[in-house]
Amino acid sequence: MSATTVDLAHAGAATRRPSYLTRLRARPPGVLVGGGIVLLLVLIALLAPVLAPYSATDGAISQRLWNVGTIGHSLGTDGQGRDILSRLIWGARPTLVAGVVPVAIAGILGTLLGIVAGLGRTGVRSGIMRTLDVLYAFPAILLAIAIGAALGPGVNNAIISLSIVLIAPIARVAESEVLRLRAADFMEAARASGASWPTIALRQVVPNIAPALLVYCTSLVGLAIVYAAGLSFLGLGVVPPHPDWGGMLNDLRANLYDRPLLALVPAFAIFIASIAFNVLGDGLKQLFDVHEGSAA
Amino acid sequence: MPGRDTIRRTRAEDITLRADDTRQVLTVEGLEVTFKRRQGEIKAVRGVDFSLTAGRTLVLLGESGCGKSVTARAILRLYGRSARLGGSVRLGETELTTLDDTTMSQLRGATIGMVPQDPSGSLDPLRAVGAQIVEVLRRHDVEPDGPKARVIAAGLLERVGIHDSQRVLRSFPFELSGGMRQRIAIAIAIACRPRVLIADEPTTALDVTVQAQVLKLFTELQRDLNMALLLVTHDVGVTRFVGDEVAVMYAGRLVETGPVGQVLDRPGHPYTAGLLDAMPLPGIPRGALRAIPGRPPGSDEHVADDACALAPRCAFANAECSHHRPPLIEVAPGQLAACDVVGGVVPRSTPLEAAHA
Amino acid sequence: MTSFLTRRLLLAVPILLGVSVVVFITIKLIPGDPVASLLGPNATPAARADLVSRLGLNRAVPVQYAHWLWSSVQGDLGTSISLQQPVASLVLKAFGNTLLLVAAALILAVAGGVVLGTVVALKPRSLVGRIVGGFSIGSISVPQYTVALLLLLFAVETGALPTGGMHDTGVTGFGDLLQHLLLPAIAAAVTPMGIVARMFAVSLADVLGQEFVASMRARGLTRAAIVRHAMHNALPSLLTITGLQVGYLLGGVLFVEVIFSWPGLGQLVFQAISSRDMPLIQAGVLLSAVVLVLVNVVVDTAHALVDPRVRN
Repeated sequence: MSATTVDLAHAGAATRRPSYLTRLRARPPGVLVGGGIVLLLVLIALLAPVLAPYSATDGAISQRLWNVGTIGHSLGTDGQGRDILSRLIWGARPTLVAGVVPVAIAGILGTLLGIVAGLGRTGVRSGIMRTLDVLYAFPAILLAIAIGAALGPGVNNAIISLSIVLIAPIARVAESEVLRLRAADFMEAARASGASWPTIALRQVVPNIAPALLVYCTSLVGLAIVYAAGLSFLGLGVVPPHPDWGGMLNDLRANLYDRPLLALVPAFAIFIASIAFNVLGDGLKQLFDVHEGSAA
Repeated sequence: MPGRDTIRRTRAEDITLRADDTRQVLTVEGLEVTFKRRQGEIKAVRGVDFSLTAGRTLVLLGESGCGKSVTARAILRLYGRSARLGGSVRLGETELTTLDDTTMSQLRGATIGMVPQDPSGSLDPLRAVGAQIVEVLRRHDVEPDGPKARVIAAGLLERVGIHDSQRVLRSFPFELSGGMRQRIAIAIAIACRPRVLIADEPTTALDVTVQAQVLKLFTELQRDLNMALLLVTHDVGVTRFVGDEVAVMYAGRLVETGPVGQVLDRPGHPYTAGLLDAMPLPGIPRGALRAIPGRPPGSDEHVADDACALAPRCAFANAECSHHRPPLIEVAPGQLAACDVVGGVVPRSTPLEAAHA
Repeated sequence: MTSFLTRRLLLAVPILLGVSVVVFITIKLIPGDPVASLLGPNATPAARADLVSRLGLNRAVPVQYAHWLWSSVQGDLGTSISLQQPVASLVLKAFGNTLLLVAAALILAVAGGVVLGTVVALKPRSLVGRIVGGFSIGSISVPQYTVALLLLLFAVETGALPTGGMHDTGVTGFGDLLQHLLLPAIAAAVTPMGIVARMFAVSLADVLGQEFVASMRARGLTRAAIVRHAMHNALPSLLTITGLQVGYLLGGVLFVEVIFSWPGLGQLVFQAISSRDMPLIQAGVLLSAVVLVLVNVVVDTAHALVDPRVRN
């Protein structure tokens, strides 16, 4: 029997992928809703001096622990009589910074490691990936706590410890994306044409893995905000009296029995910020058509 | 075959077929398959008629995307609610398009067997082969007893040419070759002695040498079990090897039907002729092959109901072809073709002549 | 199978060594004079000298590491600076309680996640599917301390369940333990449940889209039988997902323990942070990481038991 084939044309019509702009016009709800809330949070953080009705660090003991809904202090006051709304607004700054900056740092370092591992020789790759496996072996927040506890409290130290923790997962995603690309023909073609590997990395790899990594990192910001606030909650983040949401949560927790609503204010602020980045990440995943799994 | 005595017919089959029914087992009339997609409706099959006879093979021939696989799967209603079926599919006297889901599911694998295209993907990768055959035997009440069903399963494997059946029954699909897996898929398809066997490109994924063995197995099984066989392929060689009748499909419609020898030797439709010209033959340089220019309309393209779908690619087409869709007319005894322009046998230079030209 | 397990355990050895190096390094991250920052400015010279010799700070770093590793393997994890007790016994006792909480949360998370994920995979466009999908993204985002606070508030307001601890004073029964366990376990389980639901939905939908499922329909198998096959095929990825959740829970229950005063490792580490009791923190992190590495060995072994392709 001959392997006769009358497949005269490629199966199915090659449908053109619509451009990102066209797809953005289709309004993926995740991008609009998530992006909208993120934008709002950034604006609040930037405009804190204008928006905050009171000082975030000074309060009157006579006005301590007013409940949510008090006239003049709509979100109440904390144990030192400080206006919670004002602390929430000012606290957006360190909270967002401690969420975004570690992801940015780990994003750059992790992507770099992932590309080197993905393009490098077997020895290089297994060297990098096995080292990262070690970091991966730790429960993430515990490793951050150990590093943070050694370095001491402070926003900068929280950022350092979270960055270290986040490098391994990002590098893994980057490496698997690069390996996926390596299987594609055009990489072979580029190598055959004599391009050096930095050229290949810059021209072929980075543009192709950028969407998946952007999606993954956006969702990681949500996680980093939760972790950063967690470190502050444990006393490893922002140093008092400066406000940040995790620290506020720890302060107000002490008064949970008499003023339960107060502690929920920062708890929900952290939740909103985290879900906003996760929704945005989901929306970007649809927008960039990133396959599920790589950024799970 | 071993265990034949223990094989009982399913209740559904008792309703629809008498055991001695040797004539038209399955009749398809005006079958339409429409998929609902976000961009609108896609008509993959636009009115197809044919019938299957016990002990005979009908080959559904055409390029990828012409609707032949969709037709085959629609007979078994495998698309569920994602597709709308029009027209009629009758198994004996029973209308399948309106049959309740439970009875339909009892018919699948019992009265109508199916051999899928890709043998590597047709078996559960995590279950041993034996368990998967036994599962089907028990599901269709062929043999409810596990150990006895295993004996039947071993017999089925022997029947499809697997001689170390005990080892294969214990094997997992990944441990077996593609040809072996396809034999197993065939064994499962005939496990309940179906009256109709549908094979969707059953040899496409196999090595050339294995292809011939598997096709030979099909013809033997069909003869021995007196099944009606519907075989879907894009391969003219396969068609000639196994087919009794052939139905050539293009853009969701039949463009030519008739006895295999007649249609392939004296095609009445330019599309059939084009398929034949694109087939390499021994001794003919590949450069002499003439491909049909262009490609079939894609699933997202509109095909006018009142035009010949081939017209844009057809050397014989005239202005009339874009305004009028020719019906199937008899061009020779038993041979129908849907082309007004040719109206008989397509005049062709043989490939040899073309090579010398 | 035995050879698989042996190979997998051998692979874990370098990881464990790496883990020990990282844990050892954390103490080197202390800026300035570690002895001063660990003991405070008012420490007596004798206490300083004692700590220096105990940490081996007067020796070369590789020697310090070897010494530390050797004593750790023998079960000597040092002495807590704040509690002045051997770290090993402190940590082990607390870790048992943590494992109880982690196990309870894991059971809730996997059971709930599989049910929700199956709903999403089987009916992605239905109203239920959409609601569950929305719930899972919400639960993935919600911090464990937020859920814990909400549940604690519920306990405070209704008085239906205890607000903290493992037992009421003087009570030791299993029912009492369960009552105390319920809210912390739920608080810890919410996020992993969302992740399991989401990832399991993806892998189950992936399996359902595979060719063999269509072939099974063509063989007339019932829907229930086909779903059973699909679940079986989604089991390997469920194992992987579950392994990841163990890692998440071992860290994340810390917040739940702090809020519900659960006498576990997290509670201990939380108290150690304020006193910068590094030996205690190190021991807690080391133990959690070692357990996690072993959990992954178990997960991979289970994976091999389910999937014959992995076995060979």
